[in-house]
Amino acid sequence: MKQKISVLMDGELFEDEAETLLDQIKRGSDVDNDWDMYHLIGDVLRQPEHIHCGMSNKIRERMEDEPVVFAPRVRAVKQRMRTFALSAAASLSAVGVVAWMSLQISPEVAPQLAMQQTAFRPASMQIKPDANDYLAAHQEFSPSADLNGGASYIRTVSYSNGAAQ
Amino acid sequence: MAALHISEQSLTATALPSKTDENQLGKKIVVRLPVLFCGLLLAVVANSHAEELPANLDWLEVVAFARHQTDYSGVFVYQYDNRVETTSIVHVNQPDGEYEKLESLDGPQREIISHDGRIWGFVNHKMVQLGSNYGHGNFPSLLPEQLAALKANYKAKLLGVARVAGYNTQVILFKPIDNLRYAHEIWVHTDSGLLLKAAVLGDNNKVEEQYAFTQLQIGGKIDRSWIKECDKAAAKLKDAPPANADIKPINSGWVADMLPSGFKKTLEIERLMHGRHAPVTQMVFSDGLSSISIFIEPNDRDEDDEDGLSSRGAVNLYHKVMDKELITVVGEVPPRTVIQVLDSVRYNGK
Repeated sequence: MKQKISVLMDGELFEDEAETLLDQIKRGSDVDNDWDMYHLIGDVLRQPEHIHCGMSNKIRERMEDEPVVFAPRVRAVKQRMRTFALSAAASLSAVGVVAWMSLQISPEVAPQLAMQQTAFRPASMQIKPDANDYLAAHQEFSPSADLNGGASYIRTVSYSNGAAQ
Repeated sequence: MAALHISEQSLTATALPSKTDENQLGKKIVVRLPVLFCGLLLAVVANSHAEELPANLDWLEVVAFARHQTDYSGVFVYQYDNRVETTSIVHVNQPDGEYEKLESLDGPQREIISHDGRIWGFVNHKMVQLGSNYGHGNFPSLLPEQLAALKANYKAKLLGVARVAGYNTQVILFKPIDNLRYAHEIWVHTDSGLLLKAAVLGDNNKVEEQYAFTQLQIGGKIDRSWIKECDKAAAKLKDAPPANADIKPINSGWVADMLPSGFKKTLEIERLMHGRHAPVTQMVFSDGLSSISIFIEPNDRDEDDEDGLSSRGAVNLYHKVMDKELITVVGEVPPRTVIQVLDSVRYNGK
């Protein structure tokens, strides 16, 4: 089975075999886990900086928070949905707690991902030597030089050098 | 399959549970009883992590004081934009004030001596004055208003102790209140208060620049022979105009409407600058830790200077021609901030 999943991920499984396997994935949770695990391994190999763990659960959890419009006429469905939502929310929140606690162990991860969306860094180039005068002038009157310590010393050295030439 | 996988990945950024979103958590508790237990657990864990200490600003006064009052010599590295520079530094107090010598240890040989608010350098084996240190006199220059500004614009947090250059240091993080300024992390020697390491952190905690002592001697026997040379050169220049003769305070009438909150004007002057025919107006703003300078000058430069953004380490520079003026904004703040500030500069009349 694991072999098959691996082949499917590589896109080398025949169509009919793939369909059967996908059916199995939909039904059985074990296969589902293998599927997730293989993708996680692939992700880690491809881009070790950003590892998305337990992602589908998180997506599911976020979708829980989306407003759900229940049609008033189907009472039974609504009731069933609510029972399902309650139990699902409970288990998903438990997963959330675990995920959140694991995030706490490596505190950098969460803000990094959160900030990725807002990060805006226009293309910029190195400051040209003829702009050194501005840097030196800025440095000269910068009131926080004491707190920037060595950085301000070294800026003074390099900018002044530029001005002297 | 592959396509499905990719789209899932791009969703992650939005799908991650936000750990601070307690409002959302609150809603859940009301709607779904089974969640209550989990919610409580979360709250408990969250509290145990909120060990933010309110005022660590005493450290800064110590830092500002130690920087001037301590005799020391050492070597530090400065890293920015994938470059590393090594510099030696000697700082001593003499009866007539502070002397400080910096010498670059890699690249072209450069030596700088600062004393009495003047900066000296060796150019072709001759000591010449390169500039002045108008802002920082011989005494700790951390003013009460600067401390107050810092407190309002950054959250200070003690991050524990660490070793730098063989000394024990206290690590302090200054987290800004918005993303218009950088975070600063400093390592302060627990005994002397000297700043042994400092890093400027941008988005995603990326290190924009940092410096750190690799070797340091505090007090003890420090070579002072170079001081005589400095005094000799200074004596020769007795008749020269004082360091700040080409600088005069003015009220230019220029304003910048979109400075990030908490930046206060500390200076507004008119000055002569190398290679410029007309005086340049300079305004300096500070939020206690970072500063922004705005330069305004008539656009009479011959070369076609294209508008644009450039950077070196944590310092970003943006310049642009507006009507007849060339406006330049420089500061140790993110690129988006210098752009925002420049675009809001206008003449408000006198």
